[in-house]
Amino acid sequence: MGVPERFWRVMVGTLLLAAVWIQFGYGPGVTAAQQRSNTSDRRPMVLDRAPARMIADPNPVFRAVVLDAEHGEVFMANDKESAGTSVLVYPTQFPPTNRILEPRRRIAGPKTDLGMVCGLALSIEHGELYSVSGETGTLNVYPLDSTGNVGPRRRLRGVMPRASAGVFLDVKNDELFITTEHVNRISVYPRTFQEDQEPLRFIQGPATGLGDPHGIYIDGTTNEIFVSNHGNWRETQPGEGEVRGPDSLTRTSLGYNVPGRVVPLVPSTGQFLGPSITVHSRTATGNAAPLRIIHGPHTQLSLPDGIYRDPVSGELIVANTGDDSVLFFAKDAAGDATPVRVLKGPATKMKGPVGTSIDAKRNELWVASWDSHVAAVFPRMANGNIAPLRVIRTASENAPLASMGRIGAVAYDPKRKEILAPN
Amino acid sequence: MSQPRISAYAGSADGNAQPTRVIQGPKTLQARTSHYIAVDAVHDELAVPNPFAQAILIFRGGANGNEAPVRVIQGPKTLLTAVDNVAVDPLHRELLTASFPTDSILVFRSDAGGDVEPIRILHGPKTQLDRPIRVEVDPINNLMAVMNDHALLVFNRTDSGDVAPKWIIAGPKTGIGTRFGTRDLKLFPEGRKIIAGASIRGPRGTRSREASNDDEEGFFRGGGQRFIGVWKYGDNGDVAPWAVLNATPITKIPGSRMALNPEGGDLVIGGDGRVAVYHLPEIFQKTD
Repeated sequence: MGVPERFWRVMVGTLLLAAVWIQFGYGPGVTAAQQRSNTSDRRPMVLDRAPARMIADPNPVFRAVVLDAEHGEVFMANDKESAGTSVLVYPTQFPPTNRILEPRRRIAGPKTDLGMVCGLALSIEHGELYSVSGETGTLNVYPLDSTGNVGPRRRLRGVMPRASAGVFLDVKNDELFITTEHVNRISVYPRTFQEDQEPLRFIQGPATGLGDPHGIYIDGTTNEIFVSNHGNWRETQPGEGEVRGPDSLTRTSLGYNVPGRVVPLVPSTGQFLGPSITVHSRTATGNAAPLRIIHGPHTQLSLPDGIYRDPVSGELIVANTGDDSVLFFAKDAAGDATPVRVLKGPATKMKGPVGTSIDAKRNELWVASWDSHVAAVFPRMANGNIAPLRVIRTASENAPLASMGRIGAVAYDPKRKEILAPN
Repeated sequence: MSQPRISAYAGSADGNAQPTRVIQGPKTLQARTSHYIAVDAVHDELAVPNPFAQAILIFRGGANGNEAPVRVIQGPKTLLTAVDNVAVDPLHRELLTASFPTDSILVFRSDAGGDVEPIRILHGPKTQLDRPIRVEVDPINNLMAVMNDHALLVFNRTDSGDVAPKWIIAGPKTGIGTRFGTRDLKLFPEGRKIIAGASIRGPRGTRSREASNDDEEGFFRGGGQRFIGVWKYGDNGDVAPWAVLNATPITKIPGSRMALNPEGGDLVIGGDGRVAVYHLPEIFQKTD
């Protein structure tokens, strides 16, 4: 009979607690009408005060790296909001130093509309610099010699999906290619685009193999597109993400003010495909399958980001963020291919490499490392754990690594008394 | 574009601090754009959404480095779409997510993994769910709060199907709504408070600092493209906040993402690559 007795004790206790709760106006008995009468003329208590503490890294970081070998300048995207996002321009040649190097020019400020500048491309012939924002997806064009707080010469808004990652100018065919992470897509525009330009074509859909695409490189000679993918995948439909007001296929690209379509509750399609390099035909359109995929454990791919092709050897160069390396693949690599070379190790000073490029004129390889605030220059055929020829750094060597980017949330762990911030 | 990782800092950290640990690497299965993180202090677990792979990742509370999640909720039965947020109810062992594309709240067992069906779905015209972006749960007072695009809705915790909200906080006095782009929501059960973080936004593509600063009532003053509003349980209708923290040159609110440290009397606010800690014991009083 012990169980029923315990049951009644608990019940009586609960009822007593509930009575006290309601007595003091805390229970569900507090009606909406009562609250309304108490709050209609409420004046808020103003708590404005300075933060007790602020955690922030004030040092710029390097993401995309593009070279103007002709004029001896390197352009790097700094997407660190706590340092003020910017495009930083340095000379390609300078005496080796381990000190912080000030840029020759800096494009930054509210007029620039850089947003979270992730990708860069340039046209030496037309004197133009192209930037894409991971926040809005906007593609902006600046004169190559821009400096300071200057507005873009042109900008593409149009139907372009938000959250771009990479941009590449195919000089031979005068076309700009943009990857969009959120909707697994490659969009193609004429270089001479106007503000509301429709894409010339796009690659998107379940057959494409694109999964959380990042870096992009186009070989206008072989007519190939190379894209690095993190491998986070879900089924997308061609046209998804395009901003077409109420006619948009999904509402997630619309942001505020426009309700968009309600998606039915249907089975999920999400999968982890694993990292890959997908190779597509330059002229592919719609839900087109890739020509080949580099994918598998032997590839050593791990959160691959910036991608470039060596103009001499044809090797594919991949900034492999996940294991602080740069991977070099044979020009026709496919499947579970082993890299022909791997640049990796503490001597390289690479930590979180995200951008890479080749200075063919000077036979040099450039690697931008986000975490270590370092852009490092190596011999073009560098291999293994070798020291760079010289570095550009925006923070001292003993400064904390960059960790927070655009943080999407914060949490407090009471057990460890820690603040958690996911990017 | 940011690296997919979770940075952990000492609660007392300040300035350009070194993280105490970083959860990152391919085994973690994180994507960039993890717009939420939930701490289950009872079971010592962290839950993080991966919107691109339509998954919810659950880690050990002390996870570090390239450590795989202990469970992953993912698969056709889950009905997850662009999963952008997650809340945990450690008392009832439940995990909730607001589904922006489908106007629904999905509730799972928080100890579940794999391709599991939601145990409850809140969805339908009576719910008034319209682009819900955040959900939070109060397991003590049995409430569930949802941040809509233009309203804050409060339901009973176990509501399921097509059920009307218990309270709706919306209207010009609230500052909640499309114009203000409210993005985050926290509940403080012991003090029966609702805390919402807002970011005033202009038209698509414009930066928040270009948006209008002033509201009709002048509550959100001082160049405030952002503010944090605190409401009491039971507030209903077009009700001004009980308390506000405005964006001013003094407050330097970095964003609209929030965490509560009631023991320390701190409100933690994150955004734009910064985390600010505000000592606001007024919010954490258990009575007022």
